[in-house]
Amino acid sequence: MIPSDHFVRFYNEVFKALEELGHEHLVAYWRELGKLQVQELAARFREGGLPACHEYWQRILEEEGCEGRLTLTDEYFEFRMTRCPSLAKVLDNDAAPCRWYCDHCMGWCEAVMQAAGLHMVLDVESRTEPHCVMRVYRDPTLAEEYERAARLPSHPYA
Amino acid sequence: MRYCETGPVHLDFHRTLNATIGYLRTQYGYDFLDSVFRRMAHDVYRILHEALQRGDPEELIHHWTYFLDREGGGYELQREEKIIRLTVHRRPAIAYLQSRGLGVDPAFCRQTVVVNNALAEGTPFEIITEVLGEGRCIQTLRRRS
Repeated sequence: MIPSDHFVRFYNEVFKALEELGHEHLVAYWRELGKLQVQELAARFREGGLPACHEYWQRILEEEGCEGRLTLTDEYFEFRMTRCPSLAKVLDNDAAPCRWYCDHCMGWCEAVMQAAGLHMVLDVESRTEPHCVMRVYRDPTLAEEYERAARLPSHPYA
Repeated sequence: MRYCETGPVHLDFHRTLNATIGYLRTQYGYDFLDSVFRRMAHDVYRILHEALQRGDPEELIHHWTYFLDREGGGYELQREEKIIRLTVHRRPAIAYLQSRGLGVDPAFCRQTVVVNNALAEGTPFEIITEVLGEGRCIQTLRRRS
């Protein structure tokens, strides 16, 4: 039995096993998860816009034990994560981390945001430290501008 | 315990686990799916495997009951002279998927069977997992004769 507490460590093993077959297999899996999350979230974000994103990640912050700060402005929603529980667990692990672990997040979010008509930038900042900054914009030009200043923007499908 | 999580439980991970099992099964087949479960048993759960290799089943029993308790599972643990039997009446993962109206992948419970088998490899124990359906199973750990 794999408890929900250990799912991200399982996820990490799936990523590594697929990566061993070729990076395109890992990317295909993220696309599949994106489809799943589009069904779950796209309509909610499309109808509710940035406040709906804020509401969703407020629940995730509490339920998944994240540490960080949520900000909602007229232009964007920001999730500044000071401790990502997902990468923290993958690093606190007797198995090795997948080097692309952080990209799974953008992997599903990008599909959801596109379907919702929103534009997300994920600055993972570091692949070995569990912190990052996510911003969601309505205006694609503002998202592009923000991305230019990002330290390590995630582009899983590039 | 090596991974002693506390705090809120995020049962929705079972939805992604279920979808992932279905994806790997249909795209890559059972052998590949099982290979990922075996990595989980041998690498992530290395401490559990090593404890069984030393002849100590208690790490695994604590692991089973701790996480079933955290997720609100229903189970009984029976200890006999050479057998420890975990009878799961209500597996929270299955109950969660059903509560969301989601179909449970036919290979979902394979995670328990294959992880248990892999944990027991190269140890003085065998673990027999009987999947009974509807979130019920019996996991019997006993010393090999």
